[in-house]
Amino acid sequence: MQCATTAIFHTYHPYGAEIKETRPYSPCRAACPAHTDVQAYVGLIAQGRYNEAFEVITAVNPIASVCSYICHHPCEQACRRCSIDEPLAVRHLKRFAIERSLQYRHAKRRHIQKTRGKSIGIVGSGPAGLAAARDLASIGYDITIYEKHPVLGGMLAAAIPPYRLPREALKEDLDDILALGIEVKTNFKVGEEVTLDELKARHDAVLVAVGLSLSRSLNIPGVEGEGVLLAIPFLEDIAFGKGPKVGNNVLVIGGGNVAMDVARSARRLGVPRVSMVCLESAEEMPAWKWEVDEAVEEGITINHRWGPKAVRRDNERVLGLEVTKVLSVFDKEGRFNPTFDHNITNFIEADTIIITIGQMCDNNVFKGSSVKIDERGRVVWSQATHMSSTPGIFLAGEVVTGPGSAIAAVANGHRAALAVHLYLQGENVEGLLPSFEREKISDMPDTVKERVARHSRIKIRHLDPETRCKTFEHFEFSYSEEDALKEAGRCRGCGGGAVVDSNKCMACLTCQRVCPYDAPKVEAYSVIRPEYCQACGLCAPECPAQAISMVSYDVRQFREGMKALIGSLDPNRHEPVIVAFMCTHHIGVGGFNLPENFRIAPVHCISRVDILDILKAFECGADGVAVVGCTTESCKFKGVHERVEARVKRIQELLSMLSIDRDRVALLRASSGNGNPYSKVCGGFAETIRNKRSYKP
Amino acid sequence: MIVGKQKPIEEIWHMVRDFKRVLVFGCNTCVAVCHAGGGKEAETIASLLKIRASQEGLDMEIDHSSVMRHCEPEYLTPVIDGLRRYDLVLSTACGVGVNFLSERIGNIPVYPGINTSFYGAVPEAGLFVELCAGCGNCILHLTGGICPIARCSKTLMNGPCGGTNRGKCEVSDDIDCAWYLIVERMKQLGTLDRLTEIQPPRDWSTARDGGPRRVSVEHIRAYEEAQTAKEGGKA
Repeated sequence: MQCATTAIFHTYHPYGAEIKETRPYSPCRAACPAHTDVQAYVGLIAQGRYNEAFEVITAVNPIASVCSYICHHPCEQACRRCSIDEPLAVRHLKRFAIERSLQYRHAKRRHIQKTRGKSIGIVGSGPAGLAAARDLASIGYDITIYEKHPVLGGMLAAAIPPYRLPREALKEDLDDILALGIEVKTNFKVGEEVTLDELKARHDAVLVAVGLSLSRSLNIPGVEGEGVLLAIPFLEDIAFGKGPKVGNNVLVIGGGNVAMDVARSARRLGVPRVSMVCLESAEEMPAWKWEVDEAVEEGITINHRWGPKAVRRDNERVLGLEVTKVLSVFDKEGRFNPTFDHNITNFIEADTIIITIGQMCDNNVFKGSSVKIDERGRVVWSQATHMSSTPGIFLAGEVVTGPGSAIAAVANGHRAALAVHLYLQGENVEGLLPSFEREKISDMPDTVKERVARHSRIKIRHLDPETRCKTFEHFEFSYSEEDALKEAGRCRGCGGGAVVDSNKCMACLTCQRVCPYDAPKVEAYSVIRPEYCQACGLCAPECPAQAISMVSYDVRQFREGMKALIGSLDPNRHEPVIVAFMCTHHIGVGGFNLPENFRIAPVHCISRVDILDILKAFECGADGVAVVGCTTESCKFKGVHERVEARVKRIQELLSMLSIDRDRVALLRASSGNGNPYSKVCGGFAETIRNKRSYKP
Repeated sequence: MIVGKQKPIEEIWHMVRDFKRVLVFGCNTCVAVCHAGGGKEAETIASLLKIRASQEGLDMEIDHSSVMRHCEPEYLTPVIDGLRRYDLVLSTACGVGVNFLSERIGNIPVYPGINTSFYGAVPEAGLFVELCAGCGNCILHLTGGICPIARCSKTLMNGPCGGTNRGKCEVSDDIDCAWYLIVERMKQLGTLDRLTEIQPPRDWSTARDGGPRRVSVEHIRAYEEAQTAKEGGKA
């Protein structure tokens, strides 16, 4: 039923998408909880096609802007470049593409007719609720969102500090979703104003996606009273500009990402001394390494491997925290099960203590309803159907999955939306929902790694720590276009490579002989091993049986569209019409910037240009064809130059058989950089063609 | 494998120029391997012909397609009706394919787009060499696995002749002397003494000299014929 989600919710269908869905995913895409087609949008960015990149991103991610700031980017951790040099900077690229497509984004917002005649109430407007709302509104359901806060977004709006997530980003995402025509009731507390059962009576189905909005506290002496705060109320005060009261020496208990948010926010409130204490060692801390690094840069100290024992007070005033040495945090099975040496203790001075040791669901939402809660206070649900104990009341997001990332909540929201949709269609949901796991291509073999050119990741600039910890302003700069294009060019296109049609292949071995990475393995027919394939495309145009196609950026679209690309020709034209197959690896800022008489066919690499593509251009009346690639030094693939040169020689021979001058086809080389290298090399070629008479009698 | 070479485009053009609707029809087995007549080459020829037609201002419809093999009815039958809408089929199969299709297509000419050359091996990418002549009476066990029929310019059975010159044939320096190779190979195998035995003149009736040849696999034919008879009886 994976196709069910695809069919309903995916709106972007690039060339070759069908074949892509049947293939193992690239590691980045498999790792993304929402299976964002990372490689596709990075490839589009590399070609300067930012609006299309935006389409790919938002096809599965309704909070794309938010994720472009705060996503923990499992795609990067999975990137196969990790084992070569550094992972691709996917999140920065996402932000870049979204920033560049803003106008397009605004223009495409549309109201959707409520054609289904059924309404759905969604309780909670965090990532899961928003994802479900968008999915269901997009296919014609009447959606009402109920949110307890005065604004939409759940924890995104109410807890994530603005230095990490500027609220304008959240607003863009919300505006996209609300444009579909969704009713919103804010400051609406389900469980107080109305029970879930009453809400169910108003709608055909209800989806509860309330997340984990309460902080857990500690059961230690001295915790009650002034000077000890909980994380979520503290962050809510910051988010809503209430300026929480803290002293001059704040101690944060916890080692997760929320603890980092709290500590770094405290610094930004002007607190001179902020320290943290956690059970875990630096390696064991659940917070992301970059969060920890940035916090340390901002002058926050971390006390590792101490467990809280008591809050020491002088009368009411907090003096600090008594702690006990931690021996271990996890047991042999890797479960959280800390052990302590109570003989070793310590005292950490502080006048304010903020507890950030985890969150839990605000079960008030279930008050007075028929939805069952188990003896441990957790809502009863079925993972197979997303349904609670009450038919028609569904659950999604962290309220059922436990704490996780925003994008994981989005993925869960999609799944729940499908469950609701199937339920409202009268289907038995059981067994119809997709599982998260997808087959992915495996690690790059060492023999291939050795052949991949090294290119360092383009670093993003941050405000310096001194400046940034004085303000809640966002501190990370975005890529310039030049940097983004360079970084996008680092993608190896994993999984976007060659596929053999076994019905056409006659095992001639050509692909095996051509491939610089030993990807094809030919037995009864050729199989191109995706873990080896670098998606250069050298093999496809060489296949004598035309059995090979490329999963991403197959160039056959140019052959099919060549007539349209060239357009109608004036027989008395003075300027020659030249088709230029241009490698997009060095597209450069502002595109190729060539004169109008050039008809540009951007290609992932010139290795993909077939003799037939060039012939097609002449068939359609082109005066000349330029194949424009990188310089050999800058090409990110192996062996392209020699192979394409041989191809161009062959086409020149074929043309000369028709008395067409050989030099009407040229292999040109350029690399982006200063000036406009393309207009220079292409201009020279145009001059050659201009001086010729028409090759037609 | 059967090896062929594309005909010059000018020669093809003269064959096809008087026809209105032309199909360039590729064969995706042997001649695809040697980059002469597979689907890719059929499309290339079609494209060149289209350009040629427009150069001469001729209004022609030139298409291309291909099948796995031209030489077996199972591959041809499903597509043959589609071929009949053309005035000419230019087949880029080997001569076998052209003959076979021509016999079945009916009232439409089938012309050859390639010259069928020989049975060959592929020692290196893009290189095809003749190693067997299909003479119908194999003697490779006598000659160290090197065939003098296919590889000696004179098809000598008791060589070498006086034209051998430092391992090359007098016909061309590009041709290895087959008998030089045979002697060296038999030295290596320790069977050189067998060459002292004089080979009698060959019976060429198993080769082309005996007229067109056929091979019939008896047990399969017997079954097929029995089936045909049964079906005929029913009718």
